[in-house]
This record gives sequence, C-alpha cells and structure tokens, in this order.
Amino acid sequence: MPKAELPHPTRRELLRAGGIGLLTFSLGGSLVKMSPAEAQAAGVSLSVLSRAEAETLASLCERLVPGSREAGVVAFVDHQLAVSRTDCMLMIRYLGVDPPFTPFYREGLAALNAAAQSRHQLSFSKLEDASAEALIDALADGKIEGWTGPPPSFFYFVTRNDACDVVYGTVKGFKALGVPYAPHIMPPSEWGEPD
Amino acid sequence: MTALPAEKIDAVVVGSGAAGSHFAARLAQAGKRVAILEAGPARQNNDLVSSMLWARRLKSAGAPVLETGKDTVGYGFNAGSGVGGSTMHHYAVWPRLHENDFRVKSLYGRSRDWPIAYTDLQRYYDRVQAECGISGDHEKETTRPPGAPYPMPPVPVAEQGRVVASGFEALGMKVSPLPLAVTSRPYKGRANCIWDGWCDAGCPIGALANAQTIHLPQAAAAGATLHPDTEVVRILTSADGKRATGVEAVTHDGQRVRVMADVVVLAAFTIQNPRLLLASATPKHPNGLANRSGTLGRFITTHGAAPIFGLHEKETTPGFGAFGGQLLNQTHYDNKNAHEASGAFGSYQWMIANALKPNGLLGIAPTRPDIRGPALTAFMERATRHMISMTGVVEEEAMAENRVTLAKRKDAHGVPLASVAYTTNEASAALWNAAIAEGLSVFKAAGASESWNAPRASMHIMGGTVMGESAADSVTNSYGQAHDLPNVFIGGAGLFPTAGGVNPTFTIHALAARASEYLLKHWSSAVG
Repeated sequence: MPKAELPHPTRRELLRAGGIGLLTFSLGGSLVKMSPAEAQAAGVSLSVLSRAEAETLASLCERLVPGSREAGVVAFVDHQLAVSRTDCMLMIRYLGVDPPFTPFYREGLAALNAAAQSRHQLSFSKLEDASAEALIDALADGKIEGWTGPPPSFFYFVTRNDACDVVYGTVKGFKALGVPYAPHIMPPSEWGEPD
Repeated sequence: MTALPAEKIDAVVVGSGAAGSHFAARLAQAGKRVAILEAGPARQNNDLVSSMLWARRLKSAGAPVLETGKDTVGYGFNAGSGVGGSTMHHYAVWPRLHENDFRVKSLYGRSRDWPIAYTDLQRYYDRVQAECGISGDHEKETTRPPGAPYPMPPVPVAEQGRVVASGFEALGMKVSPLPLAVTSRPYKGRANCIWDGWCDAGCPIGALANAQTIHLPQAAAAGATLHPDTEVVRILTSADGKRATGVEAVTHDGQRVRVMADVVVLAAFTIQNPRLLLASATPKHPNGLANRSGTLGRFITTHGAAPIFGLHEKETTPGFGAFGGQLLNQTHYDNKNAHEASGAFGSYQWMIANALKPNGLLGIAPTRPDIRGPALTAFMERATRHMISMTGVVEEEAMAENRVTLAKRKDAHGVPLASVAYTTNEASAALWNAAIAEGLSVFKAAGASESWNAPRASMHIMGGTVMGESAADSVTNSYGQAHDLPNVFIGGAGLFPTAGGVNPTFTIHALAARASEYLLKHWSSAVG
C-alpha cells in the first residue's frame, strides 16, 4: 500500500469563502463586526443570556476547558442561541434536543446555581475551587440532589463541548496544539479566523 | 431562484441527496422533464467551510423528529439539511452488502429477506462504482463479494493505520484498504483528495462523491431544475386513489404550491419518507399512502457505532486522512452467528484509522468526557499526536415494533411531526458488546498504552419503507415502486429490509440505478 503523503500548503489551492463576514454584535448602541473573543473582551451586550447566566456559563466552562472564558465561550453560545436553527453551530443542534435550545442552557445554568446555593449559599461563580470542582464531579456523574434542569451529565457534556469548540476548534486552537489547520476553505470568523 | 414548473411535468423528485439526485440525473438524461424539490437551503462549494463548527450547518434543521424509544436513531446527527442532503456530510465509505445480508430470514430464520439477491445488484454496484469512482483493492479485500475491480488505487495508509493494522495482524486477522468513494488520483475531471481530514464539513474540491459533485450537475446539464427551500408537505393522489398526481409544497416565501407530475420520486430521507406518506392519507388510503399492508413506518433500524480509541507511543498524525478511515476489517462478517455464544446476532465491520480533529462530536476532545481542566489540556496535547481509532459498524436487527408514527404535534406547515420509537434488541446489543471487546483487544495487541471506547451511538438510519416480494407485508417492490401506487418510487435506505453491517450509501445508489432503469423501461405501465 502506498504511504500517506500529508497535505502541504504549497500543494493546495485555497478556495476563498465569499459572503460570510465576522459576526455582528451590539456595542454601545451600534452594531459592530467582531470575533467572539473580541466581543468577550469588549463586553458586548448579550442577545439571549442574562449577565448572571453568562457569568455562570463562563465560570463553568473555564473550569472544564481552561482558556474558554477568554476565547469567548459566552459570546459564542449567546450568539448561536440568537441565530436561526439553520445557521446554528452549537453541537446541541444534532444531539436530539427539541429546539429551541435556549431553555436547555437557561435551565441548566439555573439548576447549577441552585445546587451551589443549596450546598454553599453562594452562586456557582463565587465558589472556592474545591467546592466548585466537587459540584462539577457530581454534575458529570449525574448525581446532584434536587436537580431540576436537563440531565446533569448531559448538560456537562454539552457545555464542555462548547468550551472545547472555542478553545480547540479554531485556527488559533489548532496552532496552540501544534496541529496544522490545512483548510480547503478558511473559516471567515473567529471560530477559525486566521491570525 | 428558478420558478417551479407551472405545468405538469414527467417527474417530481422530493429530496436532493444520494437517491434523489441519482434518479433525477437518470430520468432527465432520458429526456424526462424533472424538478427536484429540496426542503433545505441551496449550497455552493464555497459554503463548505473547513471547520467542525461550520460543518454543523450541514446537519438536519427541518421539522424536529421526536425520538421516543429506549434507544435513539440519532436523527439530528444522521440527517442532512440542504442541497445534497446527507451526502454532504457523509464520509464515502462504500463497501458492498454481502450475499448473506440479502437472505437473513432464509439463512438464519430471523427478521426479513430482501426481495433480491446480491447477484441482482452486482452489476449496478459495478456501474455506480465506475461512475462515482471508488478507491480500493478488490483482491486484498478478500471478503468483498464478486464484482469489477475498483477503478482507483487504494487510499494511502499513514502511521495511524499501520499501528492499528499491527494489532489485527497480531491476533491473526487481516485488514485491507477501505473502499472509499474518494479520489486517490484524478478521476473523470475530479481532483484527487489531499487527505486533510475535513470530510465532515463537506468536500468542496470534488474529491468525495457527494450529490453536488456527481449527480446534481448531471441532472442540471440534462435540464432538471433544482428548487431549494421548497418543502414538500403532501403527496397528492387522484380521486380514485390509484395514482399519485404530484406534490404540495411550501416555498421559501411561505407560499403553498402544487407541482403536478406523472411520477413522484420520494427521496426525502429515511424518517421523512414514511412521515410524508402517513401524513398524505386520504379516504382511499386511510392509513397513509402505500400502507395497505400496515408495514409503512415499521422495521426502522440503524447501525450501532462502536468507536474504539487509544494512545500509542508512535506519532500517528490522527488529524489527517479520510474521516471514514484508511483500512477495513470484516473478519466475522459472513457469519452472523459468529458470536452466538453470547447471544449476539448480526454482522459488523471495522473502519480503521478515522481522521480525528481536536473538537466536534467525532473529534478527540469528546472521547474522554471524564477529563477536564488542566488535565484536558495535557491530554489534548498528547492525543492530537498519538491517538489511534477505529469504528465498528454493527448491524442492528430489523424489528417491526421499531417504527415511525405521526405525533400529535405539528410543524409550522401543519404536518404532524414524525415520532420514532426505537429499541435495540438484545442480540444486537450483545453484538455491539462483542465488537467492543474485540476492538479493545486489537488496540492492546497494537501496543496502545491505553485504550477505551465510546458508548453506543446510532450511525445511519434504514427501514420504514421496506421493499418485499409481497404487497401484504412490504411497502414497495424491489425497485422501490410502491405496491399501492405504481407511479410512486421511493429511494434511499428506507427500502432496506435489513441493515447489514456496512455503510448504506453505495447500496442506495445501486438501488437507485436499478430502479431508474426499470422505471424508464416501464414508464407507461407505471404512469397508467
């Protein structure tokens, strides 16, 4: 059998994607195009999630996948919840959850905060390391007393994947791992925008 | 946007995936006036962005399917959305069904027989293979049934493939090149694959035999029209109930229109075909069209995916190659009772050395959901260099009680949603367990420092509009022609009476090639 010849940039003709720009976020009353990481840094207004929900999501995801807060996991999830189902890039769209997907996140985040309150009288983002990690262990195992959101281990799986998407699923993420991105068509936004 | 035909045409094709595009090309090339109605959006090659996130736009986005059984068929993951249907995200692993797959009832006394034998389909496999191009080695693939040699040399084998192959060989099992409908060299004007592992995001260079690369351009060149964002909501029938007369559809701007045609080709994917037939009931067909037998919607089946992962001291560059893999093993395939001691029944194959990107449902990160925080960072840095993988395609037995019915809930156009009740039977679950045990032993023999498996997931959906000899217990004849409505032809894996343990798309094409040939030869009697 022939040995593999791995792709090399000089061999490929890069096709240019057309018609798809950066994402539009609302900042200071005007609409601007920016990447999710930029949106996170600029503190753009959220379309779907509340500030409290955003902080819980960012705290959870940062513990699951280091770097995901800075990479813009909140802007990513919030924006994708606001777009049409056809355009949605969240993994949840093909995991058998009945759309719309916002209730899944909202109820999961609320249940996580309720569990943190029940255990420690604090919101999840204010928990100390050991308490937060113990709660995430219980979340992953699907064993949280009084949980009323989506199945806890499934909620863990979905949010962990969202965090993986923004940290590992981009051109920057591949580069940080030392993996050549080698696209046919370069993604035109942060989830893959070139440096 | 091309205007829908205002006058009656020869054939309206519902769906633009493997079966629909194939039918449309053949009928249009024979001079028939053909319109293809596609529920999802138009797609150009430049829409196929290389990203595991952008890839999700190719997945199902239509009316939700309610999955109500103990297990699921994974509709959201397996179905496509838009022009090209699920071929746009398929990985082009194209093995043939084996002779025993067609005779499950006769040979083993279980489930159902197909109304045709392998020999009936052989020349159509050969024809499709020449048209679409398959890379492989028919001599090394010793388990392959008879047929023409593959038209292209096998796909390259990289370190990941060599490492896993060593495990099979250590246990006395053979591997062969994986038959892939991907170009290993330029083929009929198509560029060769550069093995960068983005198959899941759709192949924009024409190396992989998707609908937009093979049959949709042929159909367009022959005059067929393609109408995206046009969702068929009902199949229309004559007052006497003896023939279909066309379809009713909702266009992108919400208008309800009718497209009248002599022939209706229904190729809207496994779950949606029975849903549309059930939802098109009339007083003449009170239980749904093509359902005099009561079989419509029944015998839904799937393949249990059996993913095996490992880490190896060698650098395996797992991000490259083809998503479907590099090598094939079918050691036990031809004896569906090979694992009967554990109560298992059925066939399975291994697709060896799948290309793995860091993220995505079939990527590296989700394989170890138990790892998080700094340990995940370390795992990802190691796994993106040293991971090995393979996926078992495990036959699940076709059971009448696994079925599609109409839910009470309706979609935006007033059509009841499909509800799928699916439970894997014990013999199929035992077979999955046997495959997992074998897979882990292979990785151990290959020298993996650690190995693990993912839980069962559903891969491919089949059945629901099964073909058969008798109108009393099947929906169509062996050509996909509805027993009760001779000018309705059904395409796709929904016709499969049993699933086999190989990927279905090659067989979907072979059936479409055979059926379209038959339809053209018997046009007058079909139209009536």
